[in-house]
Amino acid sequence: MPLKGKLTLVTGSGRGIGRAIALKLASQGSDIIVNFFRRREAAEKTAKDIVALGVKAEVIRANVGDPAKLDEMFDTIATKFGHLDILINNAASGVGRSVLDVDIKAWDWTMNINARAFLLCAQRAAKLMEGRGGKMVSITSLGSSFVLPSYAVVGISKAALEALTRYLAIELAPEGICVNAVAASAVETEALKFYIREGLMKDIRQATPAGRMVIPEDVANVVAFLCSEEAFMIRGQTVVVDGGTSVAPFITAEKEERR
Amino acid sequence: MSVEEEMKEIVAQIVHVDKSVLTREGSLRKDIKADSLDIVQAMVAVEDKFDIEIPDEEAQKFQNFGDFVDYVERRVAEKEKV
Repeated sequence: MPLKGKLTLVTGSGRGIGRAIALKLASQGSDIIVNFFRRREAAEKTAKDIVALGVKAEVIRANVGDPAKLDEMFDTIATKFGHLDILINNAASGVGRSVLDVDIKAWDWTMNINARAFLLCAQRAAKLMEGRGGKMVSITSLGSSFVLPSYAVVGISKAALEALTRYLAIELAPEGICVNAVAASAVETEALKFYIREGLMKDIRQATPAGRMVIPEDVANVVAFLCSEEAFMIRGQTVVVDGGTSVAPFITAEKEERR
Repeated sequence: MSVEEEMKEIVAQIVHVDKSVLTREGSLRKDIKADSLDIVQAMVAVEDKFDIEIPDEEAQKFQNFGDFVDYVERRVAEKEKV
């Protein structure tokens, strides 16, 4: 139980990747604050599954894109627990449009939830980690470095998130706080099924050298490593979890040609 | 102000339309021209205003502004009973 007695906040942990991370860290002994925004039922289910692992769970609703709500969430954590050991910045949203169709509203919505929220969370979390060290991990995606269809503003927000991760890592290094990011390719979640058609899922599967799509648990495993003491000297990095997709851009094309 | 009037204020501000456009029969997408982000933002603002939660499954059923108002009125009434 490497995380026994620790307290972790996972934003957006009712479903998908956030839920898998929450359960993984709970299985390693950490108490978990489950933050959600739209689906209380899912968050309550995550909390129930966390408690079944023998640790404590607290559910807090907050739109991380809204600074006032985010502050309320941290006020609750400060009053109730007085400290925090691990912050996982996972909550994300976005508007799937081409660059020329991105209006101010879509830009602000996406940037505020995906990038600004980590800034504000990290500022509050760093205070709660004072004198005890800590870990922060943000969840990003390959869209920060590569152009994906209808992903412009989300990709840009993830690039900002990765840059922020580097700056925070250096600024918080003297405090004993490790800050890193995990970038996944398309992860097989309900959210993904909502956004893309089944045909594209098949293409992604075929384009992945590791032979299957990334699942939430793949991301959770790397997050857990970055939250461990073994990862102490890793700072400001973005670890890619994509089954090899990004380093083998021509593999699928070659496979197609051979057919 | 009634729930409906308050909702008109909120939605008009988010979608940038005049309140007169917001009739009960008006389709959220076709008449009011709210895009998916407008609808999410309106849901969130209404949830905050009335301290209720609107599950996505319910929100997907709203065809016109009246459906949205009816649902919120019902939830507010339920809350007042408790």
